Amino acid sequence: MKGSWRFWGVVATLPILHFFIHVGLGFSAWSPDLLTVALLLGARELRMGAAAGLGFFFGLMEDAFSVLAFGANTMAMTIVGLVGARSRDLFMGDSLLFLISYLALGKWVRDLLHWLVSAQDIRAPALEMLLFDAPTQAIYAALAGALLILLVGAWREPIR
Amino acid sequence: MPAYESEGGDRAGRRQIVLSLLFLILAATTLYLPGHVQEEVASSLRSSVLYPFIATQRAVADTRIRATRMEELQAQLDSAVASVSAHRTLAHENRQLRSLLGLREIAGPAFVPATVVRPGTRGSESMLLLNVGSADGVAVNDPVVSAEGLVGIVREVRGRSAIAMDWTHPDFRVSGMAVDGEVFGIVEPRRGSFREEDRLMLSGTPFHAELADSSLVVTSGRGSVYPRGITVGRVHSLAEAEAGWRKSYWILPAVRPASVTHVLVMTDSEAESPDDVLHLFTEEEAVDEEGEDSEIGGEEGAGEGGGGAEGDSQSESEDVGGGG
Repeated sequence: MKGSWRFWGVVATLPILHFFIHVGLGFSAWSPDLLTVALLLGARELRMGAAAGLGFFFGLMEDAFSVLAFGANTMAMTIVGLVGARSRDLFMGDSLLFLISYLALGKWVRDLLHWLVSAQDIRAPALEMLLFDAPTQAIYAALAGALLILLVGAWREPIR
Repeated sequence: MPAYESEGGDRAGRRQIVLSLLFLILAATTLYLPGHVQEEVASSLRSSVLYPFIATQRAVADTRIRATRMEELQAQLDSAVASVSAHRTLAHENRQLRSLLGLREIAGPAFVPATVVRPGTRGSESMLLLNVGSADGVAVNDPVVSAEGLVGIVREVRGRSAIAMDWTHPDFRVSGMAVDGEVFGIVEPRRGSFREEDRLMLSGTPFHAELADSSLVVTSGRGSVYPRGITVGRVHSLAEAEAGWRKSYWILPAVRPASVTHVLVMTDSEAESPDDVLHLFTEEEAVDEEGEDSEIGGEEGAGEGGGGAEGDSQSESEDVGGGG
């Protein structure tokens, strides 16, 4: 199913869903980061340049609402897209556990990069960010992403 | 499904690497773009690709407003009609007296009500999207207030929308003073361990001047951005005292931006800009304090709305105090 219209349909729908929930409905505190999930899924199927481009575009859209650190999301998501595409050379898996781990790790790295790129005076404290905030959101996003993909049936073949 | 192949080595692979590096450089460039270019890029995206989501948020907010209790609105409408009727007579009388005295018309501040939209995305924590813009008379640097006090300031204005930053933004500064006008200083935000613990600090006050705990701090009107008299918060405790020179005080903010859904933008679209709005906020304080007194006195049922609001602010004070 990977690479099929259904898979890419999910990847295209997730960003819309992300902005609809976060911006449209205003449920920012309780909703997962589906934009990063979409990027991570798409990056596994795209070539490195295209994945970085996708990350750049997603990051720029996120930064459109950022007055604190414009560019931080763009930078973080470009790198995540790039690394996501390269991760095919490093990790291959066909289990649900792999998918969840990949999404969680990718989201955690994205938050870490955002934290690093943001100016020092607007950063959350390191311990809170790296050990509590980012891991919680990473697991939440990974579970939500995996659940969505399973529900839609867009993941029936091993992730490459 | 395309066949798996590694991207190293071949010409296509090198092209991908170059493309990736290009996007990385572009991404790094966005970090260092001048502020106005960043705002222009963000604004273009918000008014194009992201516009449907912002429009949805406005529609949702409007629906929420319409869904508020009709009885309560009817009661408020009745009170407002009565108040306006009385006000009209007074205003007419006032105009007559002014003309008799030969005074020029002094216009009060024009308050434009606005609904707050919060994007909720990473990095947008101190940002408010307002559903009013230049068409409503809103301009850059207009103060954004709620009934409790200062919320923030407008940073960018479009035709029908505006972007404001609240007081938690690291760039936020306002000249503040004790309500009696004896002590002046600069109010600036300080990050807490968690965003809920963000506080304000009144710094640069004279060393010899003492501010009592819980004393009210308002905008001083210096700098001609904020009019004098908008409630900023209350003194919580002494933060630091630089030997013999100056003191800084922790301020419990009057407004928690996260809880704000509707605000007023103070425009100066009238003939004169508002230079003193102290009466608007201190009268509110007086009413609140009366409500508090009556609650302490155990008069049940007296001032339901005011009592609730006071309860909220009390619990809020305790929260922040605990965090400090």
